[in-house]
Amino acid sequence: MIEIKNLTKKYHDFTAVDGLNLTIETGGFFGLLGPNGAGKSTTIGMLSTLLLPTEGEILIDGERLDRKNTALKRKFSVVTQEYSMRQDMTIEEIMEYQGRLYFMPKKERRERTRELLEFCDLTDYRKRTVRRLSGGMKRKLMVCRALLTNPEILLLDEPTAGMDALARRQMWNLLKKLNRNRLTILLTTHYMEEAESLCDRVGLMDRGRLEEVDTPGAMIGRLGRYAVDQETDGDMCSRFFKTQDEAVRYLTGLKKDASLRNTTLEDVFLEKAGKYLEKR
Amino acid sequence: MGIVTVLWEKWVEFRRDFYKITLAAMIAPLMYILVFGMGIQTISHGQPYLHFLIPGVVALTTMNASFNAIAQNLNVQRLYEKAFDQVMISPTPLWQFVAGQIIGGSLRGIYAGCVIILLVSPIGIRLCFNGWSFLIMFLNGAVFSTLGVVVSFYARNHTDVPRFSNYVIMPMAYLCNTFFTSDSIPHGLREVIQYLPLSQASSMIRGIANGEGFSYAGIGVLAVYLAVLAGAAFWYLYRKKNL
Repeated sequence: MIEIKNLTKKYHDFTAVDGLNLTIETGGFFGLLGPNGAGKSTTIGMLSTLLLPTEGEILIDGERLDRKNTALKRKFSVVTQEYSMRQDMTIEEIMEYQGRLYFMPKKERRERTRELLEFCDLTDYRKRTVRRLSGGMKRKLMVCRALLTNPEILLLDEPTAGMDALARRQMWNLLKKLNRNRLTILLTTHYMEEAESLCDRVGLMDRGRLEEVDTPGAMIGRLGRYAVDQETDGDMCSRFFKTQDEAVRYLTGLKKDASLRNTTLEDVFLEKAGKYLEKR
Repeated sequence: MGIVTVLWEKWVEFRRDFYKITLAAMIAPLMYILVFGMGIQTISHGQPYLHFLIPGVVALTTMNASFNAIAQNLNVQRLYEKAFDQVMISPTPLWQFVAGQIIGGSLRGIYAGCVIILLVSPIGIRLCFNGWSFLIMFLNGAVFSTLGVVVSFYARNHTDVPRFSNYVIMPMAYLCNTFFTSDSIPHGLREVIQYLPLSQASSMIRGIANGEGFSYAGIGVLAVYLAVLAGAAFWYLYRKKNL
């Protein structure tokens, strides 16, 4: 279980994360959403110990996380937003290095590397240096590397950025499968459909504060399960309704072209983000 | 053990760039020996200048090779590749990572020093390099590898390491008892230079090479530098809030 208590990160007079409180149960799949600069990556940075908090603490299974706590660090793996890999190493060497950094026995790291590279279609490229890989392949390698060590907690900062639609779907399936096996996952993403499809709970962050935490379904329910899209003065806008009847009644009363659809998490995000921007 | 992991990483790098590393270790020192030692044939302290020059060049080669092997590499890993994040996140204790860098850098320094010793051996100059010489080369390499770790951690951009090299490493290479004895440097500056690590290493390696022995205090001076710089590296890794 991850417990984040009053987590704050300040850079001089700028507060990137402001008193964040959050609990993620073991086996949970939590999505951290928010506009650019909301503090999502800073939160992941503190969870991965790359950044030290200004205030507050992070507890993993009741134990305080810090850079010296190597036993606790064994429990999690991180996929950072940037390609954090040696460019001049081959795929095989990257995996070998990771296995060694996590003190994995030779046989286990070799077998697991073979399995993961095969699963991610990277076997044929295993002798290729990172510099010569495409963006999508690098992203896959980052995920393979994170999974090599059989973590209990997986922190994913934009894991599918740069992947094509097929690779993204494959990644979703993999993450769902891993989560079914009780892997706790914390994900930040800009793809709302990704969060909606994968996460059992999501949190909306703005200006370092966690504004709302709930299941995607409950958030959508509060906004209204049905959306009517219409064009007003050249701009596309949506209205939300609790029931289908209300939405249809509204739609039939419209003179211009409009359409009815199910509300998505993206609608929730856009509504909230719009309000956050107004507040600013 | 994390130290072995770092040494493995250094070995992968060494194996891949073997020719580049070896050539880089040879060019500048060979030029010094050819130009100052064989081109301009002089006598120093009643002996051919090469007797004085070669141990100094071995010491400065150890310094350059160790510093460059760590500072540039780690700086690129931290600021450009972000590969250093992988280490920070991992359960490998950070002190073991630093210790591995220091040992790996020292070994690269010794390798470069050995290349020079092998290259000058056909010249026929009788100099002695024994276990003590290699211990001093290792310590000298350790000091400058640790300096490389510290500089790479505190560097804010890619040009900071070459800049530091220009301002600190290059002047040391020329002034610290390598090409001429520090006795001829003006009073005041001389005392500062004498206590710099390269001056101590040059002096000790030269003493052994010429069969004159060396002062153990020099090893103490190198050990103090090593302890202070390692402390700065550990402070950064464990205490710095934003890496």
